[in-house]
Amino acid sequence: MVSLSAKETGDADPVDSGWVDEVLLGGPEDDVCLHLGAPVTRGELRKLVAGCRQDLADAGLRRGGTVALCLPPSLAFITSLLASWQVGAQASLLDHRLTAFEVDVALQRLAPQVVVTAASAGGGPLRGFSEVAGRVDRYPGKAAATSHAVIQLSSGSTGPSKVIGRDAASLIEEVKRYTLIDGIPRGGERIVSLASMVHVLGLVGGLLYSLHAGVNLTIPARTTADGILSTVAASDQPTTLLGVPFHIELLASVLEPPRLPQLTGMTTGGELVRPDVYDMFTERYGVRLGNMYGMTEAGVLATDLFGRHRPSLTPAPGITFREQDGELHFALPASPYLGEQDPRRWSDGWLHTRDAGTVDPRTGLIRVLGRRDSQVSVGGLKVDLTEVEHTLAALPEVAGVVVVCDHAIEAYLVLAEGCELPAVERQIATRLAPYKRPRRLHLVEQLPRTATGKLVRSHAALRDADPDPSPAPPAAGADGAR
Amino acid sequence: MSGMLERSEVIAMLATYGDREPGQVPETIDSLELAWLIHQVEQRYGVLDIGDEALARMSTVTGALDVFRALRIGSSDA
Repeated sequence: MVSLSAKETGDADPVDSGWVDEVLLGGPEDDVCLHLGAPVTRGELRKLVAGCRQDLADAGLRRGGTVALCLPPSLAFITSLLASWQVGAQASLLDHRLTAFEVDVALQRLAPQVVVTAASAGGGPLRGFSEVAGRVDRYPGKAAATSHAVIQLSSGSTGPSKVIGRDAASLIEEVKRYTLIDGIPRGGERIVSLASMVHVLGLVGGLLYSLHAGVNLTIPARTTADGILSTVAASDQPTTLLGVPFHIELLASVLEPPRLPQLTGMTTGGELVRPDVYDMFTERYGVRLGNMYGMTEAGVLATDLFGRHRPSLTPAPGITFREQDGELHFALPASPYLGEQDPRRWSDGWLHTRDAGTVDPRTGLIRVLGRRDSQVSVGGLKVDLTEVEHTLAALPEVAGVVVVCDHAIEAYLVLAEGCELPAVERQIATRLAPYKRPRRLHLVEQLPRTATGKLVRSHAALRDADPDPSPAPPAAGADGAR
Repeated sequence: MSGMLERSEVIAMLATYGDREPGQVPETIDSLELAWLIHQVEQRYGVLDIGDEALARMSTVTGALDVFRALRIGSSDA
């Protein structure tokens, strides 16, 4: 066991660690708090977290230290995260779908002292969770420079990813915010979560809130329609489904769903589904269908859990919105961004959401009208088209590129002289996580430009530039199923 | 092969996700589309028993078709 020297522990106030036991892990020993293939009681979870804490300590993790978790949704992820916080360390969450190249870049930027990865491949496509053990390794990183408990990377609108930090107080505040929202399941009930627990909806709205409120958090083994509905049917506990808009569409398309008297509603984050899909879901299941609006930077911000105000939303308790030049801002006392600050993202106590929207001066309801930048949602995961475009543009085989999204991400490419498409496909497969990869690559002789030389990004103009509108063969391994 | 799922049927089922034209369906299948496709096939032919390895092979339309054919999905003697 090697302990860190005083010099390595940095100057930041260490992350307060007492909140994990107080806010999340308290409760009766035999209370089933999680169900990932098998029930996990609070007593069992506390023991697992204690064991994990020892492993992290053996790797040298200390109060004020840093750890990066690159694990699929799993009990190993949950215990590693809670153990890291119990230690008083700062945990960075890396999506397990990132490529090795992307993970390397992220680790170099975040500089954690310890990295936890999956000891073996234990998942598969459509698995709601993986049965993997955590592998703990040292990494030549630095102690925490801030008191944030969790660090997440978000696809940035320009250049590299944004680094977003939240301290324990912010997480606790969000968990408590959930307790004040009508329609959120209460103690003794169950959440069947389809939302990724490394992202804010599944992490705080699913995992942390459930642990705090005494809600049983259940993850389906398979995220097919049959797998989801079978999981709901497997318990008599009042059950809420938590997911992303795709899951509404999937479940709404079930022609004859089973009778599910325990199902009390479904809540999703992200964009609204089409009215016909909304109607089909509520008719087929006879339960409420609600929507939440939130951001990695602060979690849940506004809700319409009973579909009463659709398409508008009520600001969550304690959240204040303003409309500034057609953009939604919300009050946030400190910038959540690490590193260089951008006043276009946060200024004077206001977080600029980059979402176009309105605030009704009479009712206070907000309406979200879509992104003002190049961020798109792929199955609930945020992808910035600029990041994809920059990655492709940086390849030596690419002379020019425009990335757009209609139904799917597509790239229009001009190849460098003497270069061929398969080389580009191989590079894409190593540099971009599957969900970020263009689903179609169109080879063009030149990209359309305006009279002043600016690249044209209209789909119609790009399609006109493509001599063969049928798609080029797919990039190797370009699938989102991993 | 009579009665077995055809490529055009797989593409048609994928196209119902997001109200696309069949020509808009890429060859690659992402995880959401895979869940959608499995559901469409299950609605038509009953719940499938497909292991993780076979699912991993279904990352393209061709791969999905191969798996469905190996399982004799759509065949009267399936």
